[in-house]
Amino acid sequence: MKRNLIIVGLMVLICSFSLIFVGGCAKDQAVMGDVELAQIQPSAEETAQAQAQAQAQAEKEAALREQALKEKALEEKLMAEADSFKNIHFSFDKYDLSPEARDILGKLADWMLKYSDFEVTIEGHCDNRGTIAYNLALGERRAGAAKAYLANLGIADARITTISYGEELPADPGQNEAAWAKNRRDHFIVFPKKQ
Amino acid sequence: MMRKTTSFLIFLLIFWWSSAACGKVYIDINSPGFQKFPVAIPEFKNLGKAGAEDNLSAWFADQLSRSLKITGFFNIISKDAFLENQAGAGITAGEIDFSDWSGIGSDFLVKGGFSYDGKKLAVEFRLFDTIEGKLIAGKKYWGKPEEKKAMVLKFADEILIALTGGTGVFDTKIAFAGRKDNSSEIYTINFDGSDPVKITAYNSLTLLPHWSPDGSEISFTSYKDGNPDCYITNPASGKTKKISSFRGLNLPSSWSSDGRKILLVLSKDGNENIYIKHLDSGKLQRLTNDRAIDVSPAWSPDGRKIAFVSNRSGSPQIFIMDSEGKNIRRLTFEGSYNSSPCWSPDGTRIAYEGSSNGRFQIFSIGENGDNLLQLTFKAGGGESPSWSPDGRYLVFSSKRGGRERIYVINSNGLNPRVLPGIRGVKSFKSPSWSQHLNLY
Repeated sequence: MKRNLIIVGLMVLICSFSLIFVGGCAKDQAVMGDVELAQIQPSAEETAQAQAQAQAQAEKEAALREQALKEKALEEKLMAEADSFKNIHFSFDKYDLSPEARDILGKLADWMLKYSDFEVTIEGHCDNRGTIAYNLALGERRAGAAKAYLANLGIADARITTISYGEELPADPGQNEAAWAKNRRDHFIVFPKKQ
Repeated sequence: MMRKTTSFLIFLLIFWWSSAACGKVYIDINSPGFQKFPVAIPEFKNLGKAGAEDNLSAWFADQLSRSLKITGFFNIISKDAFLENQAGAGITAGEIDFSDWSGIGSDFLVKGGFSYDGKKLAVEFRLFDTIEGKLIAGKKYWGKPEEKKAMVLKFADEILIALTGGTGVFDTKIAFAGRKDNSSEIYTINFDGSDPVKITAYNSLTLLPHWSPDGSEISFTSYKDGNPDCYITNPASGKTKKISSFRGLNLPSSWSSDGRKILLVLSKDGNENIYIKHLDSGKLQRLTNDRAIDVSPAWSPDGRKIAFVSNRSGSPQIFIMDSEGKNIRRLTFEGSYNSSPCWSPDGTRIAYEGSSNGRFQIFSIGENGDNLLQLTFKAGGGESPSWSPDGRYLVFSSKRGGRERIYVINSNGLNPRVLPGIRGVKSFKSPSWSQHLNLY
């Protein structure tokens, strides 16, 4: 009895394989689903029904997957776009926004207005001259300045998170003016709104 | 942490302690003209069975030499200069030819002897003034062999009391943040650089340790839950509690001397302001209310005043206010960036870091703004000073040699000493010096 069951199961498996191949959209997960169905419903009639269901299921999943892939591609494209407004820079011990910084923030704001499903985290950073505690505060101010500017351009508060890392996470570990200039920054991380 | 291990260590004053009796004044270590005490420490004599722990002869001399050297107040005379025929040389005043020692420039001499009966180690130490040829301090200790370092540190303290009028800080530790890649953890290490201990293991950014006044707890900030929240941990029990987790910064600073309050910097209302956190009630008391950055508050030892950093006048400078947040006055005017204030234990001076020719160096200043002293000058600079509990030393971090390490200097800026490296730690930051911990 048990052996028969396995044989039927195998046949179903083979059938569904061929069906899916004909359908031209074979997916591992769909096949797995069929095996389970076959084991529970071993009768011939039910097997046919299962096959139909499985096919429908596989097609549905494939469509979903394709959509997800498209979304992912779009997201990646958007993220790549966002790369052009990833950082703004500051003078030593300052948190006021330079004209270049405002320009970049303007682009970020336009982008966020266009893609309302995205949020942003603003990380405030400093170079490592001066005190750890003061630099944590300065990083907080730098992040806050960018947040206020974005808010003025119409980005909702809820879509902006700020955090200061002070001098703790330099972009460039060098100890010279070029490295310090890179490190005095706000870093923007955009990401799709969590559902 | 606060274990008193002296219970098993029986010690007894068995010799005449002449410094107390005749009140001879040795050199004031704080005077600008202070010269280190030249001291010779020949090998200790085995007073017991020959062959029993003979290697201790050299060990005691080395350990005591090292401990005294670390204080920064002693010049240890090289063994190569010794004239005395050491084999069979005696250890009491009558047996010593003091001209052998004064003749090589050693104003002081430590002689010692030990005996081991298979269970207990007995050690006697004598400190002599070789010019006057007399005993200054003498002690005998009994204990288990593994307590031998404690015995040496006890006698090193006796030497410091006799010659400088105060004990050493051998029973203190320094806490700091040790950095590797993008995470840092809190560590502690003994004053002499021994016994490093990793206190946290969050694999996150963990910063700004501060000892509680009784040495049983350490406050710090950690990003382990995403936001820079403030924690207190008890290193002995491992028990850790989160005491502040407002959105934004939660930075702990100094503790009140009774250990019941802690100064915090919070940015929950948009501006970084200074608060007192009452640890018993959990109540928050706001002290500053300014649009500027206010950070790094430090209580005066009597608890009446608080030094802090603010950029309210444009650049970061040190200010002093009373403990209610009133009567704010500016302390520092030299230089465009002064930060990290720390009050000396006697309440008269404040150490801080300030920029000088584009580098940060350690300074100290009278609490009324007088008598400004620059204490470090090296290219690697200095940051985040913290006083030893006796006020004789400062610990700070410095990038001398490229990497950020922890340095100790005498409070007059002399005798810099770097603390040893620790495996897995690339840079060392924000040291905090404990009070006396009664470690031995």
